[in-house]
Amino acid sequence: MHEFHFWPTLITIVVIFCALQATAGFLVYVERKICAYMQNRIGPNRVGPYGLLQVLADGLKFILKEEFVPKTADKGIFLLAPCIAITTAMLSFAVVPFGATDNDAQAYQFVIAPGLDIGILFIFAISSLAVYAIILGGWASNNKYSMLGGLRSSAQIISYEIPLGLSILGVVLLTGSLNLEDITWRQTSAGWNIFFQPLAFLLFMTSAFAECNRLPFDLPESEQELVGGYHTEYNAFKLAMFLLGEYVHMITTSFLMVILFFGGWHFPFIAGPDAHWIWKLIVIAGKVTFFILLYMLVRWTLPRFRFDQLMGLAWKVLIPLALANVIAVMFVVEFRISPWVLLPVSIGILVGAAAPALRPMNGAEPIRAEQ
Amino acid sequence: MTEPTFDLSLYYPIFLYLLILLGFATTVMILIHVVGPRKKTPVKQMPYESGMDPVGDARQRFDVKFYLIAIMFLVFDVELLFLYPWAVAAYQEGGVPEVLRRPVFWGVLVFIVMLLVAYIYDWRKGVFKWR
Repeated sequence: MHEFHFWPTLITIVVIFCALQATAGFLVYVERKICAYMQNRIGPNRVGPYGLLQVLADGLKFILKEEFVPKTADKGIFLLAPCIAITTAMLSFAVVPFGATDNDAQAYQFVIAPGLDIGILFIFAISSLAVYAIILGGWASNNKYSMLGGLRSSAQIISYEIPLGLSILGVVLLTGSLNLEDITWRQTSAGWNIFFQPLAFLLFMTSAFAECNRLPFDLPESEQELVGGYHTEYNAFKLAMFLLGEYVHMITTSFLMVILFFGGWHFPFIAGPDAHWIWKLIVIAGKVTFFILLYMLVRWTLPRFRFDQLMGLAWKVLIPLALANVIAVMFVVEFRISPWVLLPVSIGILVGAAAPALRPMNGAEPIRAEQ
Repeated sequence: MTEPTFDLSLYYPIFLYLLILLGFATTVMILIHVVGPRKKTPVKQMPYESGMDPVGDARQRFDVKFYLIAIMFLVFDVELLFLYPWAVAAYQEGGVPEVLRRPVFWGVLVFIVMLLVAYIYDWRKGVFKWR
């Protein structure tokens, strides 16, 4: 029987809560700095040393700003939407282990809810509720930009949820568990899942980018055409709640990528299964930082998709590829073939799918970069 | 072989966390309502429409494609929900028994092929065409 420790759990929750908020706030600063350096600017540098206190200033400003609701808006839903956004984003972090945990009854763990066997399913269930925040916010604002942004976003999020779920299936089949800690443990002995599931990782990453509304998939809030998308009418801390939710979602998906495909806290020679917990913590933090920085570099590197391309990518490319990947894993597991076969097979599927795109279409020359 | 058990106390931390989050959201909502200045003017409370006076209501009819996508999502998501329990139980100790593995394998393959047929039908019908 699992034992529930009230005070240790409460302390863990409070620590994680504050850490998440602080990290999300800090990421805004990091993002602005990276953006600035990539555009040959300096970025925020006025508040505190190197502009490090910018986060604090922004937070304070968000609270002290005038808060109003447009007259034609549906007030109840309008106020409910940001609450849903932040609650769902933060809640899905509850089962993510951010260090080594075990399923024994131990008071302090590196996760809020230890030993929960439905791990991934819980995260998907909760984070897909985030679409309510967007569609309700867009609808309640009674603003044409918000409305369009909300519609686009809901279509995008539900479309990308399917490849997101399908790409995980391979990992679940190989592991036989939805528990994130079990998945990590299996990778310490059998090798990281990225070697068996590179295609699934690509699909997962692409879908995760789209789920987080990050560039190149940030159609819902494309500034140049929709002003701010679903949060055009939001101000003060209500806006901040949407933004915080987005960044927390980013952190969660980075953790998921690391845990599902890159061995979680495991790293050869540095953090084996018997290593001290602090090494495991450092390793997982390093890996997650890498993916968060990747998010940001991608954001300031790639241009935005068009909406029909976006939907086409989800339905015509990602879903068939994900299905092919699942079938490949099924055969490997059923007929007890070595999982290493999956590495060339995955790459083969990917190249095979990309090949038609390189062919000239309808006799026209493919577009080449100009000299 | 382990008996499947359900232990609600595993979920208590999540309930506690949810309570704290809801409390946070409510507190912040009240806080900004109390702290911030308030000067309502009719222009300020207009919906933003690039500086022009808003024309008509924003809640108009929209493209039927969004509904199609929603329906497609339902189909695929339900399929996915069926696949998850199978993926966990198929090759586990205490999951699908050894003798049944091969029939279950072919069954799931048929299931996925049926999904593929529906998928191809949708494609041919032009559900995924956006213009």
